[in-house]
Amino acid sequence: MDHQGHGHGHGQNPSMGVVGNGPQFPYGSNPYQASHMTGSPGMVVASPGTIQSTGQPPSTQLGQHQLAYQHMHQQQQQQLRQRLQAFWANQYQEIEKVTDFKNHSLPLARIKKIMKADEDVRMISAEAPVIFARACEMFILELTLRSWNHTEENKRRTLQKNDIAAAITRTDIFDFLVDIVPREDLKDEVLASMPRGDVPVTGPPEALPYCYMPPQQVGAAGVMMGNKPVMDPYAQQTHPYNMAPQLWPQPPPPPEQQQSSPDQ
Amino acid sequence: MADSDNDSGGAHNGGKGSEMSPREQDRFLPIANVSRIMKKALPANAKISKDAKETVQECVSEFISFITGEASDKCQREKRKTINGDDLLWAMTTLGFEDYVEPLKGYLQRFREMEGEKTVAARDKDAPPLTNATNSAYESANYAAAAAVPGGIMMHQGHVYGSAGFHQVAGGAIKGGPAYPGPGSNAGRPR
Repeated sequence: MDHQGHGHGHGQNPSMGVVGNGPQFPYGSNPYQASHMTGSPGMVVASPGTIQSTGQPPSTQLGQHQLAYQHMHQQQQQQLRQRLQAFWANQYQEIEKVTDFKNHSLPLARIKKIMKADEDVRMISAEAPVIFARACEMFILELTLRSWNHTEENKRRTLQKNDIAAAITRTDIFDFLVDIVPREDLKDEVLASMPRGDVPVTGPPEALPYCYMPPQQVGAAGVMMGNKPVMDPYAQQTHPYNMAPQLWPQPPPPPEQQQSSPDQ
Repeated sequence: MADSDNDSGGAHNGGKGSEMSPREQDRFLPIANVSRIMKKALPANAKISKDAKETVQECVSEFISFITGEASDKCQREKRKTINGDDLLWAMTTLGFEDYVEPLKGYLQRFREMEGEKTVAARDKDAPPLTNATNSAYESANYAAAAAVPGGIMMHQGHVYGSAGFHQVAGGAIKGGPAYPGPGSNAGRPR
């Protein structure tokens, strides 16, 4: 079905690929099905990319996540994108206003100690903790925003640990945090992904031909399909998911396209 | 919602903390600060569980270590001893946090412009490691000048950045390949 979905998307709106995948899952309010999609980031990343590359080569790697997620949680994703866009715009404005570098929302001494926990780190310039104070604030805000998205999907008003786990698994640049996620949540994702084992199987064959085009991408793709932990360094470099919300210009697919897709 | 004054947190965190209990508090940023920032990203009527706050505390420390490790590797390759702001921005770009770099570039620039006045303040803030602060300030002044070139490179990357990850990597290659060892360095990052 992934192949057919891709073929269909080739001649039409790239988002059709996502529509093709849609009927395979009774998606909706069930968070674990969403987790499944993100549970196989290598597969999900590869498959939508082949579709996206047809229409938007420059944002191939950026759009694929949006393609996959948007169909399953269209409104939620749109809301999240809007919030992230507002967030980054706000960051520029706020930072422009900063005139006093003495007061920080995070203690510089503590940041320095955390940096020095690495034995290889010798000396740290005075500006480094200042930069980190701001960067960490942005990091906390982004992680919290993405986590809240999951809280709302579950009709709750209290942000919980599993919401953060969901945000981590759904965001490529947060791969380095996977070990911090509770093992219970990881097990849930593994279990949730088992019934849909067919999807990953069809993903790689479709992705390979396209992944071979860019040299760096080939390496990344190979690593992704081989071993997730090792994937981290390449994923971080080749999948700046953060960009996706801002580069995603396409409207959701019309209903008639949605109907035609299941027939394939 | 009441904020916890205890950085070590509950049993869950305590379990993990047992591996580094001697310096547990120093390993995380204060939960009150983290909590306050989290609330800025949420609706007024949102609540945050203590578990969530503690998890974000851990995530932030991991973020700092992740970026610092990459920046440190770069300094070692270039035979430099001091990590400066540009090294951190480079590391963030390399590790996928491009969105953070643009706002921070302006921030760093303006900080440096005011650096002379703030050196005293920075030293006061980091009173305990006074010697390091002094040396860091001195070397920072030198690197500030040298950083003009890396800054230019960063600007270049900023332009390419709109073209997605491929070009970012290509940019790294143009600089003689420092970006290439990056992925390898990630594999060795401290956990």
